[in-house]
Amino acid sequence: MILGRIIPYALVGAVSGYLFFTATQIEFHRRAGTLGPDVWPKLVLALLIATCLYEIVRIVLVRGRRGGAAGVLQEMVEESEAKLGGGFVYAGARSPWTLAAGIALTALYVWVIQQLGFFLATAAYVFAFIALGGYRRWGVNAAVSLIGTTLMMFFFMKVVYVSLPLGQGPFAQFTFWLMRLMGIR
Amino acid sequence: MDGVLAQLANGFVDVLAPANLLALVVGLVLGLLVAVLPGLTLVMGVVLALPFTYSMDVTAAIILLTAMYVSGTYAGAWTSILFRVPGEPIDVPLLWDGYTMARKGHAAKALGWTLVAAGVGGLCAATVMVLLAHPVARIALTFSTPEYFAIIFFGLASVASLGGGSLANALISLFAGLLIATVGVDDTYGAHRFTFGVRILSDGIDYLVVMVGAFGLGEVFMRMEHRFKSAPLESVDTVSTQLPSLREASAIKGTFARGTLLGILIGLVPGAGATVASFLSYGIEAQYGRRRELMGSGIPEGIVAPQTAATASVGGAMIPLVTMGIPGSGATAIILGAFLLHGLQPGPQVFETSSHIVYAVFASIFVGVIGMCLIGYFAARYLVRVLEFPEVIVSAYVVMCCILGAFAARNNITDVWLIVVFGVVGYLCERFRFPIAPLVLGVILGPLAETNFMTTMISFNNDWMVFFTRPISGAIMALAIVTLVYPVLRHLRRRARLPAT
Repeated sequence: MILGRIIPYALVGAVSGYLFFTATQIEFHRRAGTLGPDVWPKLVLALLIATCLYEIVRIVLVRGRRGGAAGVLQEMVEESEAKLGGGFVYAGARSPWTLAAGIALTALYVWVIQQLGFFLATAAYVFAFIALGGYRRWGVNAAVSLIGTTLMMFFFMKVVYVSLPLGQGPFAQFTFWLMRLMGIR
Repeated sequence: MDGVLAQLANGFVDVLAPANLLALVVGLVLGLLVAVLPGLTLVMGVVLALPFTYSMDVTAAIILLTAMYVSGTYAGAWTSILFRVPGEPIDVPLLWDGYTMARKGHAAKALGWTLVAAGVGGLCAATVMVLLAHPVARIALTFSTPEYFAIIFFGLASVASLGGGSLANALISLFAGLLIATVGVDDTYGAHRFTFGVRILSDGIDYLVVMVGAFGLGEVFMRMEHRFKSAPLESVDTVSTQLPSLREASAIKGTFARGTLLGILIGLVPGAGATVASFLSYGIEAQYGRRRELMGSGIPEGIVAPQTAATASVGGAMIPLVTMGIPGSGATAIILGAFLLHGLQPGPQVFETSSHIVYAVFASIFVGVIGMCLIGYFAARYLVRVLEFPEVIVSAYVVMCCILGAFAARNNITDVWLIVVFGVVGYLCERFRFPIAPLVLGVILGPLAETNFMTTMISFNNDWMVFFTRPISGAIMALAIVTLVYPVLRHLRRRARLPAT
């Protein structure tokens, strides 16, 4: 219990300690009488480490109980909800595997977008994302993925003039064909 | 004064130009939709709209985003009142009296009170904004770097101490944001800081990437973990709006006045925003209102207090943004981003160089509030139907807009990787109760804070006491310290009271 609550602060503190060490290695030509570019990050890191240490000590002293000083809004929400109820609640049970798959899918999408081009990668991603989210009406899913991606591509390439990834090899040929079809030059 | 009125009149003419008017209407409708959907927050909506404004004229772009900001503080009330689902955190206080009033069979009246409250709060705040902006800009022109640093320090202190979550977590989140802002090549010395030999990090991490990732993707990941399942909606017979009579409204004019004033003041504080305004206004009404003992039983005061404050906070938040270039909330930070993307730096000089744009935006808030009320009155029943749309499909397009927004800003795939990273960071923050707003405000205000701190040190021979010895910066620094210490004192006082109860 105590260990579980300490870990995030210990982790942030340790990373901050390493970054503080990195900040001491910043190379620059020191000018007499002026502060260097390392001062501000060191100041921020020192405050970050101090806050983490404070929180770790506090958790140890109160034996893992919650209840440090909270933001004013947090206290108001807690007081009001205790009195009157309400607030947003997630209805579904937690599913870490869905989350992991979602993050992996998003990373895969970013990875393949330059190879497949915007249209193919995005349409496939949206379809897979919706399916992963538990939506099982395949026809609607396919239509939403294709129509939405087409509209987005048209808007960004034709109206906003953003140069979206075209893809490579045959995928680029497909994108060019699609662009011609949409009247995008 | 005459000059201000003349410029405002020109602003109204600009707003009524077809392109600007279209941007306004689109912004209002998008803001209302975003506010209705529980999966999309107001800030997230404004973030997602930003890439669509890249090719627009600067005035139309700012009008669209500001209109979203205004109407986003209003429509979430509909779902709170009708379905007990707050579209935004802003709307949680509306559950207590708004939903209760609806359950008593007066849903139309509850919606009417919300509409009037949003209209009154929005218009009064817009008037105050127009009256105060120019004088504040003139005062801001006399400020030097210590005063600017003090204001930013105050903003950072208030975002940590007013927000949700524990104070320690908020501070950690804030310091992490300030640290992220230091990544890249330092402007003064050209030194590489935390770049670890990665070339793309030399350009620094754009705050829009952090915002889009942490607010947009982070929230989607959070919902994905719950497989996009929200509580089922309650059925309602009809969605109509019944306006209160003038006599009913004037009976609670004190609530309107308190809510509006508080909303403007909270909006002015950098780092606070509509959610704090809404909760604080409800809390004050419950503590000092004429019918405080009835709060929570479905009385109009419980609807008017949070709603007037939430909408009024928009006008307040625009003042530090336009006059000093300091965004007070997540939404104004994105509006600042839009200004910068179009090559316009908000600040005191903007009233000299681009006053027509500023006054067009001001005028658009007046027109926007009126338009929002009209759309709300006539189209609420159609707009709430968006709730029937599967959340997973909306979320898929949110991710796509996040990725497109990040990519379109610099045409750089590394930015897209960064938003995925910050999406995971945003999820972890939510999961372990580290508030995201301080992180984002830290990234936005970090460079400004550092520049003003370092310039002050150079100008005043490294004498850091200068922040406390100059009258204006000293007063603001004292206020900032009080803001930081207040939650700790409040916590100690509550703990001291515990054994007695």
